[in-house]
Amino acid sequence: MLRKICKVNLIQNNLINSQYVIFRHLSAKAELNEAAESQEKKKTKKPKKALTDMRFKYPEFLPQPDNRLRNPVLERIMRKDMLDRRTQINIPEFYVGSILKLTISDPHSQGKTNSFVGICIQRDRTGLYSKFALRNVIDHQGIEVMYDLYDPAILKIEVLKLEKRLDDKLIYLKDALPEYSTIDVNMEPEILAEGGNIPVNDTVVKMKPFPWMQKWERQGLKGVEDLDKHLNLWRKQQKVKHDSPWDKYDLMKEYRKTITEEEQSEIFSEIFNRINKINEQHKQKAKAARRTISKPQNIG
Amino acid sequence: MFPSSSIMSSLKAVTRVSANLFHTTAINNEVRLLTRLRVVDNSEIGKRAMMEGKPPKTIHVYNQKKVGFIGDKVMVAIKGQKKKGILVGMKQMQKPKTPRFDTNNVVLIDDNGTPLGTRIFVPIPTILRTILKEKTRSKGADYTKLLAIASRFV
Amino acid sequence: MNQAEVTKLMSQLKIALKPRHRNLKTPLGPEGRLDKLRQTVTALIKYERIELFYNRADEARGYTERLVSDALRYGDTHKPMMEMADYWLLEKQLVHKLFKVLCPRFENENGSVTKMFNAPRVYPADPKRAYFKRVVLELKGNPYPTITPDSSYRNKNLIHNVLLDAAMKDFYAEKERQQQLLEQEQTLNSVEESKK
Repeated sequence: MLRKICKVNLIQNNLINSQYVIFRHLSAKAELNEAAESQEKKKTKKPKKALTDMRFKYPEFLPQPDNRLRNPVLERIMRKDMLDRRTQINIPEFYVGSILKLTISDPHSQGKTNSFVGICIQRDRTGLYSKFALRNVIDHQGIEVMYDLYDPAILKIEVLKLEKRLDDKLIYLKDALPEYSTIDVNMEPEILAEGGNIPVNDTVVKMKPFPWMQKWERQGLKGVEDLDKHLNLWRKQQKVKHDSPWDKYDLMKEYRKTITEEEQSEIFSEIFNRINKINEQHKQKAKAARRTISKPQNIG
Repeated sequence: MFPSSSIMSSLKAVTRVSANLFHTTAINNEVRLLTRLRVVDNSEIGKRAMMEGKPPKTIHVYNQKKVGFIGDKVMVAIKGQKKKGILVGMKQMQKPKTPRFDTNNVVLIDDNGTPLGTRIFVPIPTILRTILKEKTRSKGADYTKLLAIASRFV
Repeated sequence: MNQAEVTKLMSQLKIALKPRHRNLKTPLGPEGRLDKLRQTVTALIKYERIELFYNRADEARGYTERLVSDALRYGDTHKPMMEMADYWLLEKQLVHKLFKVLCPRFENENGSVTKMFNAPRVYPADPKRAYFKRVVLELKGNPYPTITPDSSYRNKNLIHNVLLDAAMKDFYAEKERQQQLLEQEQTLNSVEESKK
């Protein structure tokens, strides 16, 4: 009898262990439903190309990409303020490598205005904080000036030569031979045909001998000559050691540094109408100004 | 890759020059004690020092921070003499609208603030007008004489 | 605070992302980290459902999403895209799978292309790894039964559901029989004891 009880207990234990077995029906959706769904999904809008192309012309309207520092409300307010400022002053399209002439009101100078001609070597930061730097060599002295793009002290921004260069930043011009950053102060503006592509200046600069400001050989610059002839053995070894050829495959690193297409089109669709209107107004103003100058003057 | 002897020899070569040639830190563009400066006026002593390739060394900065900023007075050791000078161009980062130069420029002056030279070769920043006016005290040194010999402002 | 890099256009990913990447534990540095992730991405594309630790799964998920979204954007005639697919997929035939199977599958997908579920911890666990969370990572539209019960549509007439019903019936019948047997034994015992 005892043996029997033991047997029953064993079976009971087995049952208790296995009572959590889950029985569930497996699903299978009919094909018709799926087809209907896919038709619905196709209707979603894709971003327009005209909007996303604005990212080169107006890079400062896009926010900085780090999510931890983003503030959508502040960004929106800034965009409005930037457009308000643009109604007051014509901020033309320019790129790193373009040659600009900038006139600012300067309380320190005698005429209360000051102007500087130089090549744009850097465009940095976003929104109302956006900055750009000009460089020129005057009297054999290299000079760089950083300006806030939306600084109310700026009276006039003129583009003397509109072009791009091979690199995103031309900070290396500081260590290049001075001829590459020497610009005539009395330069006449070169006028480009409207609607055409922006020409890319593929100048390859030659560098001065050491010492340099930065380790240019590690930065993969396109607009600089082969730097190996400047390097000694140690520096060549270090260049190889610090190279990271896998970086171009790092999809998420790339993604975290960008603003996505959807977000870009959302931002640019917000400003699209107003900025076009403002540009049109500035064009008409310039036309009117030209007309008044060409009028013959009656003297005496 | 290399035979061991060549590695040793190259290592030796590296260690021999490393003390002079290689920085382990980023380049410090500040004007501090013993920073070399560039004399940009046509004073006799300044011109000769620059020609000989022995630019002056900062041996004192006349401010609380001991770091030279634009318009500050410095004492320099130049050709075995002590001279005073005004910093008229800085290599370090500047505020927006203030120019940043490729070299640390100095103009030599005497105790009364009168420049030793008669001309400044390079452009000097307009902000110096305000700074030097503020630094000039009545019955003290008059630094604004420096502005009169400047050839160009940026 | 710098400007965004916008020369290359990218689609928005429909997953929650950490603002910073994770450094996966490896002595080989950033290159070793990518090598680890390549293995995971390859496995996910190959098997469509994998179980692994949370950290690595969450990292690999982003890379898979980006790879599929880029494949959808550029197609198989784009040279840099092919190079990228060649790097991320360690087995050659999976490149074909990406463009010929997954791209058509996710062409009209509005949400993410992957899903992640919490998985139970293994017991008894390796004490070194017991702390880490486990997850199941899968591609959408995979051929396996769903992990979460799908209450939207059930068909009782499907063969596997008929069989499951039968199995369930048998299971509870057996359970009941055992219960009865147990009760009988207990009554017998009590009778014997009372006799004594």
